[in-house]
Amino acid sequence: MELSRPWQIARDALAAFVTAIFMFPIFWWALTSIKPISAVFDKDRIVWFDFIPTTINYAVTMLGQSRSQLAIDAGIGMGVAGTEAYDSRSSILDSAVVSIGATAVTMMVAIPAAYALSRMAFRGRNAFLNWVLGQRFMPPIAIIFPLVTTYKWLGMRDTDNYYLGWLGLMLIYALMNLPIAVLLLKSFFDDVPKDVDEAAMIDGATRWETFCKIVLPMAKGGVAAAAVLCFIFSWTEFLLSLFLTTDIRTVPVKIQTFVTSTGNEWGFITALGTAAVIPGFIFILLVQRHLVRGLTLGSLKE
Amino acid sequence: MTASDMGKPSRLNWLTSEHSLPWLLPASALMVVFGVYPLIAAVLKTLYRKNAATRREIFDPLYNWTKIFEDPRMWDALLHTLAYTLIALTFQLVLGMLIALLLDSDRKGYGILRAMMTLPLVIPPAVTGMMFLLMLNGSFGVIARLIIATGLLPVGYSILGNSATALPGVMLAEIWQWTPFMVLIMLAGLRALPKEPFEAAAIDGATPVQAFFKLTLPMMSKVIAIAVLIRGVDLLRAFDYIKVMTDSGPGTATETLTSYAGRIYFGNSDYPLASAVAILTLVLVIFTSTVFMRIFKVKL
Repeated sequence: MELSRPWQIARDALAAFVTAIFMFPIFWWALTSIKPISAVFDKDRIVWFDFIPTTINYAVTMLGQSRSQLAIDAGIGMGVAGTEAYDSRSSILDSAVVSIGATAVTMMVAIPAAYALSRMAFRGRNAFLNWVLGQRFMPPIAIIFPLVTTYKWLGMRDTDNYYLGWLGLMLIYALMNLPIAVLLLKSFFDDVPKDVDEAAMIDGATRWETFCKIVLPMAKGGVAAAAVLCFIFSWTEFLLSLFLTTDIRTVPVKIQTFVTSTGNEWGFITALGTAAVIPGFIFILLVQRHLVRGLTLGSLKE
Repeated sequence: MTASDMGKPSRLNWLTSEHSLPWLLPASALMVVFGVYPLIAAVLKTLYRKNAATRREIFDPLYNWTKIFEDPRMWDALLHTLAYTLIALTFQLVLGMLIALLLDSDRKGYGILRAMMTLPLVIPPAVTGMMFLLMLNGSFGVIARLIIATGLLPVGYSILGNSATALPGVMLAEIWQWTPFMVLIMLAGLRALPKEPFEAAAIDGATPVQAFFKLTLPMMSKVIAIAVLIRGVDLLRAFDYIKVMTDSGPGTATETLTSYAGRIYFGNSDYPLASAVAILTLVLVIFTSTVFMRIFKVKL
């Protein structure tokens, strides 16, 4: 639609303004993470930029430094108790290990299933497809209580064995990611022309060979996009981790422990929160092109 | 073997890659062990009555189900769940469509705006909840203070601390984070529309508003239905924002079915009752999504 010049300028301004509104919470969040406490809790006015930036929140949450020592060094001089609870390095490790592991498990089980759904005719194909899709609709709350009991019985809780706790989270995250991965990968495999692998099979190649040498390489962009989305969904997951683990604290679970009865540690919360969104921001820009397809389980293409 | 024979199951080769079984087995195993088995276990659990004093569970199939249907707190939670879903979904859909129309342009710079719009989607919802907890704080939160400055709310008013405004406060976080989801999907839909009908309509003297309601909306109905279905399912099982922002409070003002189940579980460890509420959430999701898919003829 052609707009006259003043209208076009008005539209540009409005588009920029609306986007700015949506960016504001992220900006405010990052800004708060470098504010000194006095600027966060100012009850008389909203502090925008007139403060001396501090890195203390990052030093405590990301580097595990002692808060009281940092406060004394900075001349704020209030001796505050314990810093251990705010050291979030182990949480970042937990989140990274579990998300990467969950992505790997998801891809290992989803790729073959997606291939079969894309290329093979078998009895119960529709039923299997609906089963996978139904999994996406299942509220996690409906399966989490028995899983806690089962993990306890198997000695797989993080309190029994930290590494098995990681594994336990990876497996349940893999289940959660499975529908998106399978349906998305199926749609990418469907995009690879069937004549190519059918021709290879007529020439005597087995399905496994055509899969490894033709279909998978031709769809590798899609496989990468699916893996990135699985990573993001695992990184942001909250409910399952909250119910299933006590010692393992993924970042989303860790961050809400900074809310205490004596007051919220907004400096640490925002510092960890800002750090927690950065991997997602990088990854989302990598998969912009496939985002719509991923979010709609392969049913809409861009 | 001809091309048409391939893929047909045969009894001899079910262990080779020619048969579908080896391809489907890993995914099926994962779904059985971590999906089907716990679901059956949860359903069976609801058939037992937990004796609070002896901590024993006695078989009493109707006990939990009659209890939750007579429980006013469950009905409140159901009401909150439905209100939360409908209101947030409406805002997300309408705002998402309007913003998509606004950003659907090939002019320089719009690509960057569209990319920026996707950023909220990757923030952990628990972190988003904390963001809004900070911004809605009555004494130093930036959004709360802006609202208070307009005179709509009294000084020092705690939006999340009052039962009248707590649920809208939580919805604000939900709407902020997921409106971009709608924007993204609507943009994809808009970009896929054919140009000709719009050119013809413009020649016939149709206004842009007429063109939107007569052409854009009907042609986008499938896209809109898919977006509503996916968001709706997520909204019906809302948990993350509520847990971190209000923990279902004040009192039970923001309690949804999922958060109620969680509260029973963490509170008095009545697993059978918590399971009954959780299974009810599942039934609600299945029922509404099936009805929706039938009425609007959506297939994912």
